[in-house]
Amino acid sequence: MPGFDLVGFLAQFAPVPPESPNAEGIRDSWIFVSIFVFAIFLLVEGLLVAFIWRYRRQKRARFEDGAEIHGATKLELAWTAGPVLVLFLIAAFVFIELPGIKNIPEADARGELEIRVTGRQFYWEYTYPNGVIAIDNMRAVAGVPVRLVVTAPDTDVIHSWWIPALGGKIDAIPGVTNETWFQAENEGVYSGQCAELCGLEHAQMLASVEVISEEEFLAWIVRRSDEQVARRGDLGRETWEGVCAKCHGLNGEGGIGPRVAGSPTLTDVEDLGNLVRSGRGAMPAVGAGWSDTQIAMLADYLTENPPSGS
Amino acid sequence: MAASTPSWQRGRFAGWLVTTDHKRIGILYIATSVVFLILAGLMALVMRLQLAQANADIIGPERYNELATIHGTTMVFLVGVPILAGFANYLVPLMIGAADMAFPRLNALSYWFFLFGGVVLMLSFFADGGAASSGWTAYPPLSIQDPGSGQDLWILSLHLLTVSTVAGAVNFIVTITNMRTRGMSWTRMPLFVWSILLFGWLIMAVMPVLSAALTLLLLDRGLSVGPWDVQTSFFTPDDGGSALLYQHAFWFFGHPEVYIIVLPAFGIISEVLPVFARKPIFGYKAIVASTVAIAFFSMLVWAHHMFTVGLPISLQSFFMIASMVIAVPTGIKIFNWLATLWRGNLSFDTPMLFALGFLSLFVIGGLTGIYLAAFPIDWQVHDSYFVVAHFHYTLLGGVVFAIFSGLFYWWPKMFGRTLDERLGKWQFWILFVGFNVAFMPQHFAGLEGMPRRIYTYADESWEGYNLASTIGSWVMAVAFLLFAVNVLKTRSSGKRVGNDPWQADTLEWYTTSPPPPHNFDTVPYVTSARPLNDLRRKLRDERGERVTV
Repeated sequence: MPGFDLVGFLAQFAPVPPESPNAEGIRDSWIFVSIFVFAIFLLVEGLLVAFIWRYRRQKRARFEDGAEIHGATKLELAWTAGPVLVLFLIAAFVFIELPGIKNIPEADARGELEIRVTGRQFYWEYTYPNGVIAIDNMRAVAGVPVRLVVTAPDTDVIHSWWIPALGGKIDAIPGVTNETWFQAENEGVYSGQCAELCGLEHAQMLASVEVISEEEFLAWIVRRSDEQVARRGDLGRETWEGVCAKCHGLNGEGGIGPRVAGSPTLTDVEDLGNLVRSGRGAMPAVGAGWSDTQIAMLADYLTENPPSGS
Repeated sequence: MAASTPSWQRGRFAGWLVTTDHKRIGILYIATSVVFLILAGLMALVMRLQLAQANADIIGPERYNELATIHGTTMVFLVGVPILAGFANYLVPLMIGAADMAFPRLNALSYWFFLFGGVVLMLSFFADGGAASSGWTAYPPLSIQDPGSGQDLWILSLHLLTVSTVAGAVNFIVTITNMRTRGMSWTRMPLFVWSILLFGWLIMAVMPVLSAALTLLLLDRGLSVGPWDVQTSFFTPDDGGSALLYQHAFWFFGHPEVYIIVLPAFGIISEVLPVFARKPIFGYKAIVASTVAIAFFSMLVWAHHMFTVGLPISLQSFFMIASMVIAVPTGIKIFNWLATLWRGNLSFDTPMLFALGFLSLFVIGGLTGIYLAAFPIDWQVHDSYFVVAHFHYTLLGGVVFAIFSGLFYWWPKMFGRTLDERLGKWQFWILFVGFNVAFMPQHFAGLEGMPRRIYTYADESWEGYNLASTIGSWVMAVAFLLFAVNVLKTRSSGKRVGNDPWQADTLEWYTTSPPPPHNFDTVPYVTSARPLNDLRRKLRDERGERVTV
């Protein structure tokens, strides 16, 4: 077939377009495997349909015997050896692609960015090298390799970090520290979500990676750092929206968790701290390990923006 | 037997209650599994309604997680394994020319443990805090965190089912090893019986590991016995335990479990295809060898369910290669089945339609498995809807189609009447179309980033796939309904067809339909893997007819 774009055709049945070299390596491997998968699919289903048509009974008697063939050793050896060869090729290709998927690239003069990713019920907590904390929406620099150190608190459950355009997933497991990475060249927002059942609001445990320019990133992280020192700023809102609202509703109207609008606990730093740090009843200890600063910023945010309850 | 049976045991109901006849126990197993299949299917329909649209709120996350957990657990433990154990119960003694299983009362005990295990699981919906909601895999720490008693009942249920399954496995192994009729050497044994022998050995090898893991899980959840409070932390890291330990133990059981279900389904296909192609099975020995190879290697691939937990690359490489190795014997089976059709005289009665449907769908499930075996690729699609599609192609497209093939094939033996062919064919085509409409789109939803086990989603670009899936699920429901209609309709009016309506090859067709309690008055000496075919030839020779080859 002249002009038939096999790779382009197979790419339609592949993971989302990659935005990071590891995702690209995975997608290339996928397409390589697809060549064999589609060929075997056509071969087997083709033979099946052909035999069904060719050897249907037609005018023969219902119980007339077909050919008395008990097997054919050479043929059977052939369809043992064939798959072995195909699987060998696939394994070889995977091992060739593996370093580009697994290994974080050498950083240029700008260095690499390391972010600690903590999976928690039901939000993602990101800790930057200078102590800045962000929730659910991660900011990263275009073109700079980002090393992710992924874990979950001892008191939490297993989660799985997955942004399809930026590579495969890695589990966030209590007591285990895993690593993965990405390096996105294009600015943009890449979304994903927790891929390991982690409880009631597993489906709401969304994650996004906002890839921005170096200048924007530096401005943002300095501002956030200052805010955390001054105990005023965005982290309070992010905490409410990313942590509390998933169960209690954006306006505190209640969801799978009870209605909290109007509760005095929201604005009482001490009560609020005790509640989120140790949990209560069905509510997990969502704030175990939070700094006093973060709790103060949450209480401040709720004081200034009391949830309306509707 | 009948003469010595106390009169109270001969009643219509009591007769089934106290039976130790393998045929009645087999039918009880199958009928009970079908009830659970319907219940778990209804759970799936509700989940599909919830997922038909983005941001839907038909059932909340609590109910959704419970349904997803119990749907999976039911399909694996209360449908997949026991319905095939039911076929095995009914067929193994008949196929090997025996009067019953080796331990008839143990056999009855297996069934009742299965029933009680199932009842416990279903009633756990009404437990304090609802049913278990941590998925059929019940990974800790999530499964430890839930304070309700649903998870404890889930463990109790699985313990009961494990006892049932292991007792059944011992029975099958002993029966097959010791009670084959004269002349039936290992290489003259029907392929279905081979599959049940390996089914038994696999259960013996891996079920105890599940029991151990579940017991540790129960202790981790905390257990109060009299004055003692036990609270361990095998699987929680705060006291030095490891959440991954559970995953290793669970999947050491869990992957072979797939083959515990799939091997007997393969066995059914290996019985049905030759009969409707009017040919011997192509490469009997290769199929036996591949069954043994699959059973063995299935115990060496468990960590391919754990590629994203951060295992060392060397381990992931080992499990990738072991998983790929399993594809080879599976491929041998597929090609041998295809070759069985080659130069045959094919009739397309309902059992054959379902067997061919099995072939066409199982291949798809097998091929998508290659992507998942390659660990860097699995990092991308693991725990996504791609995986959901993959295993439904093997377990629903594969195993359930094989089960229907077996039901339509052996129904006249079990009940003396055939199911309606016209309804059967309608059922096949509706199920085949509905299945593909339901599960093919899930591959694409997974590739686009939809994780499994979410009760809702905000991404509207996934809506098309999900709506198709939901429509397909309801189309499948129609097919199941047709089967129910078929069973009721033919109960008293189905065609009576005699001992051997399909002119089959194996001994169960030698006796009456249904067989008497003692199975056979006489059993012919077995001279090959196709004893009835040998008999038919002998009769034709004696009548002086030409033998067509």
